[in-house]
Amino acid sequence: MKQLGQFLTNSWTLGALAIALAIGASYADTGTVQMWSFVVINILLAQSINLLTGINGQISLGHAGFFAIGAYTSAIVLKSWGVPFPIAVALAGGLAAVVGYLLAGPAGRVREFYLAMMSLAFGLIVYELARELRGVTGGVMGMRGIPSSQIGTLQIFGWTIDTITYFRILLAVLIVAMLMLRNFVKSHYGRAFYAVHVSEIAAGSLGISQAATKRAAYAISGGLAGLAGGFYAHMIGYLTPESFGLMRSVEILVMSIVGGLGSLAGQAFGAILFTYLPQKLQAFNDYQYIVYGLILVFIFTLLPKGLAGLLKTQTRYSKFDQLKGMDSGAAVAPLSIKRGDEGGDADTPLVRIENIKMEFSGLRALAGVSLDLYRGRITALVGPNGSGKSTLVNVVSGIYTPTAGSIHYKGQDIAGWPAHRVAQAGITRTFQDPRNVPSFTVRENILMGAHRRYRHSAIAAALNTPQAKREERDFLLRVDALMRAAGLLDYADTIMSELPYGIQRLAEVARALASDPELLFLDEPAAGLSEVESGLLAALIRLARDHGVATMIIDHHMDFLAELAEEVIVFEAGEEIYRGDMDGMRANPAVIQAYLGVEELAHA
Amino acid sequence: MDFFIQMIVSGMSVGAVYAMIGLGLNLTFWTTRVLNFGQGSVLMAGAMLTAVMVGSGVNVFLAVGVSLIATAVILWLVELVSVRPMLRLPGSMGWVVSTLGTGILLQGIASWLFGTQAVAFPDVLFRSVDTVEFMGAYISLQYIAVFVISVLIVCLMELFLRHSIWGYGVRAVAHDRDLASLMGIPVRRVVVFSFLVSGVLAGVAGILISQVSGTVDPNFGLHLLILAFVAAVVGGMGSAFGSLAGGLILGITEKLVGGYFSPAAAEVVAFVLLIGVLTVRPQGLFGKRETVKV
Amino acid sequence: MLEVRNLQVSYGAIDAVRGVSLTARPGSITALIGANGAGKSSLMRAISGVTPAKGGQILLDGKDITRMPPHERARMGVAHAMEGRRIFHQHTVEENLITAWHFRKPQGSFKAALESVYGNFPILEQRRSAKAGTLSGGQQQMLILSMATLHAPRFVLLDEPSLGLAPIIVSQIFEFIKGYCAQGDRVVLLSEQMASLALRVADFGYVLKHGQIVFEGTREVLTSDAAAELSSAYLGAAKVKE
Repeated sequence: MKQLGQFLTNSWTLGALAIALAIGASYADTGTVQMWSFVVINILLAQSINLLTGINGQISLGHAGFFAIGAYTSAIVLKSWGVPFPIAVALAGGLAAVVGYLLAGPAGRVREFYLAMMSLAFGLIVYELARELRGVTGGVMGMRGIPSSQIGTLQIFGWTIDTITYFRILLAVLIVAMLMLRNFVKSHYGRAFYAVHVSEIAAGSLGISQAATKRAAYAISGGLAGLAGGFYAHMIGYLTPESFGLMRSVEILVMSIVGGLGSLAGQAFGAILFTYLPQKLQAFNDYQYIVYGLILVFIFTLLPKGLAGLLKTQTRYSKFDQLKGMDSGAAVAPLSIKRGDEGGDADTPLVRIENIKMEFSGLRALAGVSLDLYRGRITALVGPNGSGKSTLVNVVSGIYTPTAGSIHYKGQDIAGWPAHRVAQAGITRTFQDPRNVPSFTVRENILMGAHRRYRHSAIAAALNTPQAKREERDFLLRVDALMRAAGLLDYADTIMSELPYGIQRLAEVARALASDPELLFLDEPAAGLSEVESGLLAALIRLARDHGVATMIIDHHMDFLAELAEEVIVFEAGEEIYRGDMDGMRANPAVIQAYLGVEELAHA
Repeated sequence: MDFFIQMIVSGMSVGAVYAMIGLGLNLTFWTTRVLNFGQGSVLMAGAMLTAVMVGSGVNVFLAVGVSLIATAVILWLVELVSVRPMLRLPGSMGWVVSTLGTGILLQGIASWLFGTQAVAFPDVLFRSVDTVEFMGAYISLQYIAVFVISVLIVCLMELFLRHSIWGYGVRAVAHDRDLASLMGIPVRRVVVFSFLVSGVLAGVAGILISQVSGTVDPNFGLHLLILAFVAAVVGGMGSAFGSLAGGLILGITEKLVGGYFSPAAAEVVAFVLLIGVLTVRPQGLFGKRETVKV
Repeated sequence: MLEVRNLQVSYGAIDAVRGVSLTARPGSITALIGANGAGKSSLMRAISGVTPAKGGQILLDGKDITRMPPHERARMGVAHAMEGRRIFHQHTVEENLITAWHFRKPQGSFKAALESVYGNFPILEQRRSAKAGTLSGGQQQMLILSMATLHAPRFVLLDEPSLGLAPIIVSQIFEFIKGYCAQGDRVVLLSEQMASLALRVADFGYVLKHGQIVFEGTREVLTSDAAAELSSAYLGAAKVKE
C-alpha cells in the first residue's frame, strides 16, 4: 500500500498526469472535460478546508459561504463592471480572504467549537443573504448571463475561452496552488499552523501567536475557497443560492475528511470520489443527506486519516527531502555566541526580576521575589511542592501576568507581555511534561524551535525563493548539529510519539536551544531520565552555557543539579529562603526545615 | 402599536423556547464539555413525529409521549456513538463532526420518510385562532402557553439541579469528574442521564416551537441550533437563568428586527450579536471567565 | 487491611509507580514519604481508582479491587482526599458535605453526621452557606477531611493534607486524623512531602523515590540516624570534601 501511495503522490507522476489531462482534453467530449473541471474546483475547495481544519485545526461548517462570496463577487464585477476575468477572480479570492480574516476575530479568545458554531451561522447567513438581496444576487431566481466558458461568452483581452481552454487554465491554477500550498506547509509557517492546532501553549513558548496564526489560516482558506467560487461562476454561467447551502458546506467537509485531513494529496482523492459518486449513483443523489450523515458520524472512529491514511501518504512538515543534497560541507554551530550589550561590565545581569508578586483569587503563590540572571551562568531553583517555582517561570515566560513587580530584560519591562512576545524576544522555556508535537519527527520538532529566527515571508515560503531555501537549509543544518550534540541523530526522522519518554525530553530541550535563546528556563527537565539521558541533558545545558545563554533550571534531582549549577536558590511558600551554593544549601537549617521538618530528625 | 405588542409577545415566546433548547445544550456540555451540533435536528425529529402521528389519528398525548421517548433515545445513541468514542481523541474535531453528522442523518431520514416540504403542525395547545385581547392587540393563546410552559420547565430544571440528588450528581460531574467519582457518584450513569434529559428537552422544545410557527420542515433544526447557541452564549454557558435572559433578549430582538425590516436582517443581527459577544465578553452576561491552566 | 502488591502505574508517558508493594494496617497511621515526583500521588490515585493501574494488585481486606471502578470503591469504604485541595469550589460548604454523603449509601443520619462535623470544626458551621472556593486554605482542608470521613469509611487516603497550611492548623488537622484512626477498625494512609510531619502521627512509613520503595520502617527507625537515607532521598548525597 505504501508504495502505491508513494507512487500516486510522486511529483513526476502527478506532473505526467497533468500533462496527459491537458492534452487529452482536446480529444475528450465536452461533458467529460466539464466533469474534470468540476473535479479541479472541488480539489481547490477541499484544499481550503485541509489548510484550515486539517492543519490548523479549526473546523469550518459553513465554507460554502466563502465559495458563494467568491462566485457572486467575480460574476458581478465582470458582468456589471467589465473587470477582466483574471482580475475578477483574484478579487473574488481577495474579498473572501478579508471576510475570513474578520470572521476569525474571536479566535484565540474562545475554544474551537465556538468558532465552529460561528462558521455554521456564517454559512447560513450568506445563503440567506444570497436569497434575499435580489438586487445584488438575483435572489432565488438566480443570476444569469454571467460570461462563461460553457456558452463561449467568456473572453480575456479579446480571446474567447472555450471549455477546453478553461479546463487547462483551471489545471494550471490548481498546480500552482498546490505547489504553493506544499511549500507553505513545509515551511515554518506550516509548522506554526499545525503546532497551534496540536499544542497551543508550546507554540506560544516558541514565539507563535495562536490568534494571529488562526486568523491567517482563516484568511488563506477563505481566499482559496473564494477563488474556487470565482472559477465556478465563469464555468457554468449562472448562479443560484441553492448551490451554496448547507449541503455544499457538508459536501466540502466530507470530501476533505474522507480524503484525509492533513494530506495534500488526500484532498485530490476525496474530491475525485465525491465529484463522480453523485453522477454515477442516482441512489446516492437521493440519499445524499443520509450518506453524508453516516460518513460524518463514523469517519473519525473508522478511518481517522481518510483515504490518505490507507495509502500512508502523509505530508511532512519540513523541506528536508527537498534540500538533502544541498550540504555545504562546512560544520555549523548549533547556537550563536551571546555577548552582552546591556551596557556596563560583564556583571550586568541579563534579566532583573524585581519584587514579583503573584496572587490567584486569594491564594498567594509568589510573595515578592527578586533575582538576577546572568549570561553564561546556570542557576538552580528548588523548593518543595507548591513553593512557587513553576509559577515564577510562568510569570516570566508570559503565561501569567504578575499581580505586582517588574521584569527588566534588555531595557524593557516585560512583565505582562503575552507568551509569544516573550519568546520572540529571546526567552525560551520547557515544560514539566515535554510538549512536543506528537506526529512530527524529531527533526521537525527541533526545527520548530527555530521559528522566531526565520526572516522570510509567507509568499517567499510558498514560492520557495532562493532566500527561503537558503534559510531553511541553514536551520536544518543547525538542527543536525543540535541533534548530534543531544545524541538524537539516530532518531532524526522517527515520529515523536513512537519514542520513549527520555528521547522526547531531550528533543524538547534541543528544540528550546534551536530558538537560540538568550535566557532559558528548564522546568523539571531531569524527571524520569535514565543515567545516560541525564548525562546528555547535562551536556546540552553546558553547551548553552558555553555559548553565553543565561539558564535557570527547576528540578528536584539534587545530584543532577550539583553537577551543573553555580548557584542555587531555594523557594518556600512563594519566598526565597536561601541563595548560595549546593553544599551550603544542604547544611542550611531553613532549607532542611522546609523539606524535611527539623524537630525529630538529627542530621549527620 | 398592536404590531409592536405582537412582536414582543412572539419574541418572548420563541425566546423562552430558545432558552429551553439552550438548557438542553448546556446540560450535555456540563457533563461532557461537548456541544451537540445535531441538537436542532433532534428537535425537528420530535416535532415531525408528533405531527405525523397526530395527523394519522393517534391521540395527542400518546403522540407527544412517544416522540419524547424517541428524542431521548436519539440522544442516548448520540452519547454512545458520537461522543464517548470521540472524547478519546484529542481536540474537538471528532465530536463536532460526529454530532453534526447525526444532525444531518436525522434530516436525511426525515426527508426520506416525510418528504422535504413543510408539514403542518396540529393544534396541540389551544387552537391557533384562540386569542386574548391586550391593549388593543389580539394575542394568540398559543404564544402565551408556549412562553409559560418553557419558563416553567427552565425553572423546574434549575430547581432540580439545585436540590435533587441527581442534580447534585450532575453538578458534581460538571465541576470535577475525578472528585465526583471519589464521592461515589457513578459518573457514566450521570452522563447518560444528562443526555436523556437533554433529549426530552429537545423534543418538548421542538413541539412548542412548531406549535407557534405552525409548520415543521426538515431544515429548521439547524436554524434553531444556531439561535439556541447564541442565546446560551449571550447569557453565559454555565447558567440556566443566563440562558433564559439570553433567549428572551434574542427572541425579542429577532422578532422586532424581522418584523420591521426583514427575516434576513434578523439573522444578521443574531450573527453580529454572537460575534460581538464572543469578541468582547466571551463569558456572556452571567457566565464565568474560563482560565487556562498550564 | 489495605494491601498493594507490585503495583505499576503510568501517568502519561512516565512510569510513575514501578512495582510497589506495601501494607497498611488498621488502627495505626501509615505514612508515605518522598520528594515531589516520587510517585506518592500516583500510588494513591491507583488505590482509589481514579487512575487505572497498569499492573499489580490492590486488596481491601483480602478482596481484589484492582478492576473495580472508583465510585464502587468509594461505596466500599475507600475515601481519597486528593492533592491540591480539591473540592467543589462553586458549591457551598453544606452542599459539598451533602454531595459527600449521599452517594456512598452510608448508614445513619446525615443530620447526625453533620453535627459531628460541625462539632469537630466549628468554623465550618459558621461558614456553612459560603461557597467553598472562598474559604481559606485551612478551612478548605477541614472541609476536605470532613468530606472524606463523614460516612466513617474504613480506608482513608490523605494526599499532602498539610500543604501550604500554617503550623497551628496543621496541628489541628493531625489531631483530627489521629482521633479518626483510633476510633475503630480503620486504615489511614498519609502522604507528605515533609517527612517529619507524617512521622509525628504515623507509626510506620514507606519512603518512595522514582516510583519505588527505597526504605521502610517504624517511626523510631525512620527518625534515627538511618535518617541520612531519608535526607539523601530528598537532597542528594553530600559531596565528599577532598
